[in-house]
Amino acid sequence: MLVVGAGCAGMRAAIEAFDAGADVALLSKLHPTRSHSGAAEGGISAALGNASEDDPAAHAFDTVKGSDYLGDQDAIEILCGEGPAEVYRLERWGAVFSRDERGRIAQRPFGGAGRPRTAYAADITGHVLVQTLYEQVVKRGIRVYEEYFAWKLVEDGGRCVGVVAWDLLRGGLVGISAKAVVLATGGLGRLYAGSTNAYACTGEGMAMALHAGVPLKDMEMVQFHPTTLAGTGILISEACRGEGGFLVNRDGERFLARYAPEAMELASRDVIARAVQTEIDEGRGLDGNVLLDLRHLGAERILERLHGTRELAITFAGVDPIFEPIPVRPGAHYQMGGIDTDVHGRTALEGLYAAGEAACVSVHGANRLGGNALLETLVFGRRAGADAAESARRARGGDVPEAAVRDADAELRALLGRSEGERPWRLREELAESMRENVGVFRREEQMERELEIVEELRDRYRRVVVEDKGDVFNTDLTQALELGALIELARCVVVAALARRESRGAHARPHDYPERDDAGYLRHTLVTLAGDAPEVDWKPVTITRWQPAVRAY
Amino acid sequence: MRVALKIWRVGADGRALREYEVDAPEQATLLDVLDLVKDRCDGTLAYRKSCRMMICGSCGMRMDGAAVLACGVRMRDLVAAGRVPVISAMGNLPVVKDLVVDMEPFWAKYRAVNPHLQPAGGAAADGREPEVAPERLSAIHKESLCINCGACVSECDAMSSDPDFLGPQALAKAMRFVGDPRDGARRARLEAVNGKNGIWQCTRCYFCNERCPKGVDPRDAIAKLGAESIAEGIDRDPGARHARWFVRSAVTTGWLREAELVPRTQGLAASLRQVRFAARLARAGKLPPPLPPHAAERVVEARRLRDLLAGQGREGYRGIVQGERALGRIVRGHVEALDRDPYGPGSFPRPWLPGARAGAEEAEETAGGGR
Amino acid sequence: MKRVAYYKGCLASLSAKELDTSTKALAPKVGLELVELEAVTCCGAGDIHEAEPDFALHLNARILSYASATGADTLLTVCNVCTLNLRQANWQLVGDAALRARVNENLVAVGVPAYERDVDVRHLLWEVAEGDGYERLKAAAHRGLKGLRVAPFYGCQILRPSRLLGFEDPDRPASLERIIAACGGEAVDYPAKLRCCGFPIVSAREETALGELVQPIEQAVEAGADAMVTPCPLCHLSLDAWQTKLKETTGRDFRMPVLHLSQLIGVAAGLRESELRFRRHLVDVQPVVERLEG
Repeated sequence: MLVVGAGCAGMRAAIEAFDAGADVALLSKLHPTRSHSGAAEGGISAALGNASEDDPAAHAFDTVKGSDYLGDQDAIEILCGEGPAEVYRLERWGAVFSRDERGRIAQRPFGGAGRPRTAYAADITGHVLVQTLYEQVVKRGIRVYEEYFAWKLVEDGGRCVGVVAWDLLRGGLVGISAKAVVLATGGLGRLYAGSTNAYACTGEGMAMALHAGVPLKDMEMVQFHPTTLAGTGILISEACRGEGGFLVNRDGERFLARYAPEAMELASRDVIARAVQTEIDEGRGLDGNVLLDLRHLGAERILERLHGTRELAITFAGVDPIFEPIPVRPGAHYQMGGIDTDVHGRTALEGLYAAGEAACVSVHGANRLGGNALLETLVFGRRAGADAAESARRARGGDVPEAAVRDADAELRALLGRSEGERPWRLREELAESMRENVGVFRREEQMERELEIVEELRDRYRRVVVEDKGDVFNTDLTQALELGALIELARCVVVAALARRESRGAHARPHDYPERDDAGYLRHTLVTLAGDAPEVDWKPVTITRWQPAVRAY
Repeated sequence: MRVALKIWRVGADGRALREYEVDAPEQATLLDVLDLVKDRCDGTLAYRKSCRMMICGSCGMRMDGAAVLACGVRMRDLVAAGRVPVISAMGNLPVVKDLVVDMEPFWAKYRAVNPHLQPAGGAAADGREPEVAPERLSAIHKESLCINCGACVSECDAMSSDPDFLGPQALAKAMRFVGDPRDGARRARLEAVNGKNGIWQCTRCYFCNERCPKGVDPRDAIAKLGAESIAEGIDRDPGARHARWFVRSAVTTGWLREAELVPRTQGLAASLRQVRFAARLARAGKLPPPLPPHAAERVVEARRLRDLLAGQGREGYRGIVQGERALGRIVRGHVEALDRDPYGPGSFPRPWLPGARAGAEEAEETAGGGR
Repeated sequence: MKRVAYYKGCLASLSAKELDTSTKALAPKVGLELVELEAVTCCGAGDIHEAEPDFALHLNARILSYASATGADTLLTVCNVCTLNLRQANWQLVGDAALRARVNENLVAVGVPAYERDVDVRHLLWEVAEGDGYERLKAAAHRGLKGLRVAPFYGCQILRPSRLLGFEDPDRPASLERIIAACGGEAVDYPAKLRCCGFPIVSAREETALGELVQPIEQAVEAGADAMVTPCPLCHLSLDAWQTKLKETTGRDFRMPVLHLSQLIGVAAGLRESELRFRRHLVDVQPVVERLEG
C-alpha cells in the first residue's frame, strides 16, 4: 500500500495502515516534516468540552452552516464525532497542546464556531502535529520514499496499481506498484498569486486523479484567507482573531460591524474575506490592505499565544504587532474541493483513495471553518488508511506495467530534449496573476471566460517550455516544470466549475450576476472530469441528514 | 534593486564559485534571489525550498560561512552595505549538489535518540487527556520549536572535529522528551545521552544557539540534559566529574581547585599518563600546588547558598528554565522595551465601532465568541 | 579615571596569573581604576551551569551584588566565560523581578547583600575597543608593536550568543583588529578566527578538542602571523599550553606564541616582564620580545 504525500493526512493514513498490519510505504517529494501541514497555525477543532459545554452535534452544525450548506452532512457528522478521539490520540502520542489552568487541552474561539473548541499549540499547531506524526512514523520504521516526485497514477484492469515517480536525489523514473494508493498530496494554492501556500502546493495528486478518470468535486471552492501579508501572501493566523484581535480599515473602524455584526472578527472566512476585499476595493484600505490590530491584547498574551505570528510580522512585514497593527489582505489559502471521495476515502477508481486537502468528501462544502482542516487530515486520513489497508489485503494486485514507465519516460525525454523555448516561470507568473485577478474573491462571468482563454493559451505555450537542467541529480527545474503542468490542468477545472455554478455560495461569490444563494438550482456539488481533452462539468447531490439549508448570517 | 551574489556550485565535475546578478524587489529574501537566479540565469542551480516562511526547514544553507534559512534573510540591508554574499551548502553534511546536502546523517542522529513519546502511564479510563500543568509543558516549549533545518548542525564545532557527535539537534530533541512530564523513559534517555558522543562532547561554542532560526537554543538544552543527568546521579562521565569538581571547588575554596581538576575528571590512572604534560605545566607555574588552598573570602556564603537551594524546587533543568522568561526578552544586548504605550503619539488610532465613535472603550471588548 | 569592580576569575588567580599582573599594570594606563573583588567565587564556567544551574545563578548573583556594593557601575572581566556567565545571570535578574526577588531573598538569608543597584558587566576588550578607553589606549601604546603580525583569536563566548553579549557583530567582529592596529601591529585574518579552541572538553574529550584546536593555530602559522592574541584565558591555556600537545598528535611544532589581550596592549605600552610575565607561557614568547626590541 502506498501513501502519496506525507503531510498530516498522509502520515496519519500510513500509521493507521501500518497498525492494521499492512505493508505500507509513504512517498513524498519533500521530507515529511517539510510538508505544508506544518505551516498550519491556529489550531484543530474538536468538541472536547474543555472550554465550554460542547458536543459533536454543535460542532457539526457550525460546520454545516460554515459550508453554506454544501457540505455532506453524513461526512460532517463523522468528522465532528470522531474528532475528539483523534485529538486525544495525538496528545497521547506526545503532541504538545497548550493547556488551560486545569491542565486540560486548551481551546480557543475560532471563526464560525459558536463555542471555543479549537485546540492549539501556541500558534504553531500544524508544526507540532507534523512533528508528532513523523515521530510515530519513525517509531514504527515505516518506509518513506523520500524526495520522490509522484507524476502519474497507473491503472490496470480497472484498478489503480501504483504510481510512476521521478527520483529527485538520483534521477530517473521508477514504477512503484501497490495494491492500494492513497493520495494525500494537499492543495493547489500556488495556482494563485499571493497565496499562503508553500511552493510545493501544486496539486499534482488532483491532476493525477483527473487523468486517471476520477472526478474532481467542487473545484470552484477556493478559500481566500482574510489575513495574509501583502506581496508574500504569508499567513497571519486566524488565532489572532480567536485571541480577540480586531480588523479595522484605514480609519480605524471595525468594519465587520457592517458585514457580520454578531460574530464580527469570528465570522466565517468567506464572509470576512469579502468584507476585507470590499473595504479595500472601495478605497478604505491602506496601500491595498486592512489592518489587524492586536495591541489591546497586550505584550504578555501576544508573546505567549501568538509568538510565531509576531516573528512573522516582524520578519516579513517589518511590524511589531505589540505596537502596530499588521497590514493584511485576502490570499488564496485552501481548496475545499478536490478528488471526489466517499466517507471512507474511496474514489471512483478501485484501489485509489484520497484524504486531506487533496480530497473532497465533502466536509467543508463551500467554505471551511478554521481548525477543521487539521481535523480532516486526522479523521479521514485514518479512515482512508484503514480502508485502503483492507482493500490492499483483499486485492489480487498487479504491478505497474513496464509500458507505463516507458511511456512516461518518453514524455519526459521529449520535455528534456527541448533546447529552446519559454522558461516555465513566465507561465507560472501569468497563470497565478490572472487567476487572482479573474477567479478571485469576487467573480464575474466575463473575467472567468477571459481566464479560460488565458489558460488555453498557457496550455499551448506549456507544450513548448524548456527545462535547462538536463541532469539526474536533484533536478527541480524538471519537477517544477511538471508541477506547472498540473497547475494548468487544474486551473481549467477551477474555472469551468466556477462558470457552471450560477449562484453565490460560500467562497464562490458572483455579486454582479448571481448574488444570491440558489438552493433550488444549486444545492449540489460540481464534478469535473476529462472528456477527451476538455473538462466537463457534471453534478452530484448534497447529502442532508439533520439540517435543512437556512439563511446564513454571522 | 540589483543583487549580486556568489554561489559555490558543486557537482560531478567538482566545485566552482560562480557569480550572479539579478534585479530583485526591495523586500526580496535570499530565497527569492535564488529563485530569480534559477529561473532567469541558470536553471541547473539546485537548492531545497518549500514554505518560504521559516517553518518547514527546507532552505538551510550557508551565507558567508554561517548557516541561515534562505527564506528568512532580507537582502536589502546587505545590498545597501555593498556586500556580495557567498552562498554555499551547509557544513558537516555531505553535499549532493550545489546547495543540497544529504540529510541522512542528520536524520540518523535524530532517530538515535528515540524521538517519540513513551507514555508513562496507560491511557486514562475515559480516554481523555491527562491533566498536565501548563508550566510543565511550556518548560519544553523551546525544544519543541525545532524545525529540523540543520543550521545548528552545520556550524557545530564539536561535530566538525568528530562527525560522530550526536549534535545539537538530536540532543535538543532528547531534552524535549526528557522534560516532557508525560514521558516514562526519562532515565533511559539520560543514560543514552551520556555516552561517548553525547552531551559531554559539546564544546560549548554556542554556534548552535547563534544560528538557530527558531530560538531553540540547543546549547541550553544540552546544559539541561547535563543538569538532569547529574541530578539523577548519572555522573560517571569525565565531563560530569569535571562539572561536579567545579561545584566542589565553589563550596570549599570558592576558586576552582585547578591542580586537582585533571585527576578528578579523568581518574588517577589517566592522569598518570599525562605526567609529562603536567610537568611542563608545573615548570611554567601553571600547575598551582593544591596546598595551601587558594581560597576566596567568605566561602561559607557559597556553601550556605547551595544548602539553602536544595528543596526550593529549581533542581536540575528547572534552574535553567526559570531564566528563560527574562532571556527571551533580550534583543542584541538590550531588554526589549515592551512596556511603552502602543497608543502613544504617532501611533495608529484606537479601533472604534461604527455608531460608537465616541465610546472608544466599547470598541475594546473582545471580539467574537467572548464578545 | 573610571572606577570599576574587577572580577579576575579563577584562571587569572592561578594558572594564568600573568593575565592578572598585566591587567593590573595596564589598567591605570587606559584609565581604569580596579577595585578587586575578594568575597567572590568561581563564576561556574559552563560547568556549574550544566551541573547545578540554580546554584550557578546564585553564585553569579553574589558576584554581581558584591560588585554593586563597591559603588562602581561596571563589573570588569578579563575572561570570555566569566563575561557570558555574569551577563547571562544579570539579564535574568534584571529582566524578571520575581526571579530577582527570589534570588535576593536567598542571598540575604546567607549574609550577602541583595543585588539592588544594577551593574553592567563588560570585558576589558570592550572597554578599550571604543570610546574613551580606545583613545587612552592609543595614547598609552607608545612603544608600539612595530608592525608585528598578530592573529586575533576571539574565543566563542565573547561573541556568542550575541543577543546576550551584544557588543559587536558575532560574524564580523572588529574589536581585536582595531586594538592591534591602534597598538601599531598588523592584524592577520584566517578562517578559524571565530571558531572554538576546544578548551571546555579538553579534559573530557581531548581528541575532539585537539581536532578543533589545531585549526586556528595551523591557519595562523600559514597566514604568516608572528603571534596570536586572545581575550580569554581558557583559550589562552588551550592555544598555548595544549599547543605543545599538538606536537605529539600532529608531529608539527608550531611554536606560535600566544598573548593575553592585556599583554599585547601591555607590551605596546611599555610594561616590564615582571608585569607581563611571558615566562609563564609554555610556548616561548621570546621571539616576539626580541622582534619588538630589535
